[in-house]
Amino acid sequence: MGGILSYFSGLFGSKERRILILGLDGAGKTTILYKLQVGEVVTTIPTIGFNVETVPCKNLKFQVWDLGGQTSIRPYWRCYYSNTDAIIYVVDSMDRDRIGIAKQEFVSLLEEEELKKAVIVVFANKQDIEGAMTVSEVANSLGLAGVKHKYQIFKTSAIKGWGLDEAMEWLGNTLTQQK
Amino acid sequence: MYTLLSGLWKYMFQKDEYNVLILGLDNAGKTTYLEQTKIKFKKKYQGMNFSKITTTVGLNIGQIDIKGVRLNFWDLGGQEELQSLWDKYYVESHAVIYIVDSSDQDRMDESKEAFDKMIISEALEGVPLLLLANKQDVQDCMSVGDVKKIFNDSREMMGKRDCRVNGVSALKGDNIDDGIIWLVDSIQRNNIQRPPVQKDIT
Repeated sequence: MGGILSYFSGLFGSKERRILILGLDGAGKTTILYKLQVGEVVTTIPTIGFNVETVPCKNLKFQVWDLGGQTSIRPYWRCYYSNTDAIIYVVDSMDRDRIGIAKQEFVSLLEEEELKKAVIVVFANKQDIEGAMTVSEVANSLGLAGVKHKYQIFKTSAIKGWGLDEAMEWLGNTLTQQK
Repeated sequence: MYTLLSGLWKYMFQKDEYNVLILGLDNAGKTTYLEQTKIKFKKKYQGMNFSKITTTVGLNIGQIDIKGVRLNFWDLGGQEELQSLWDKYYVESHAVIYIVDSSDQDRMDESKEAFDKMIISEALEGVPLLLLANKQDVQDCMSVGDVKKIFNDSREMMGKRDCRVNGVSALKGDNIDDGIIWLVDSIQRNNIQRPPVQKDIT
């Protein structure tokens, strides 16, 4: 009986989930989006505004928003917060100079009332470059200790495609289970 | 009169909330234990397919209502490099569940070391501790008694707190309830030292 029920809920489970990709400029957000969608590394220019694509994942459809990350347009992120199921926060693991700024943005993100229920996925990106920060370095410098959201960190390289499938699988499992 | 009414209000619309940390080395079974606990204590909770649980590099959360209180679980990643994230949660937690993989004798010392480091923390003083010897379903695993013996060495570091050692199988769901019920009682006994977080349920 339970099997039948879960089968039917599976049929209706293909509701779209809203996911935001955020992070500083140059972190690799657009590259990640298109790597996920078409499986290729596309040439990108700095995003002014946003890109939005639908990415299928298991029986879910992810509506993925990639918002521009430059200082002047970061204040507009909040216009997109409502009904967000998950946030992918992309960090350039080579950019030690600006990790402090990445932390500030991240912390203010977590304080948003509209994002209280959102699942956080941190991509420690650009792991293909030697000397990149490790997971624990990224976690500590982003101030992840003490965070009360459900979160998970992945080591990724958008260019090489490392870690992306794992991360999406985890996200798919997590979001399926939540509703 | 006011006290009476506000008391009634609290009784009806507020719930005491307590935070419970789930710690232990990686692959001890913390996330599986959390899922199993949610399945047992949450109505209509389907749970995740256990085979899909991967290494936690972050935090999993869970919430259950039991005996008129609410427990918030924080299940933290157990890999060595992530253990540095544990202590930020100590101040706010009301209880600790420490999970040991009884089937992994090779890493018992490592687990004990991480445990000692955690238990001497001042931020955790007096907080009830539930030690779980997990994976009791695995053949040739260490018995609850053996695990207890090892961790008894740290007795003096533990200070004054409620402690209990249970054998469980998170995967099979054996003996989960007993520990949780004990934990709720101990947390409530300790609620003068560590008062609950009160939240309106809306």
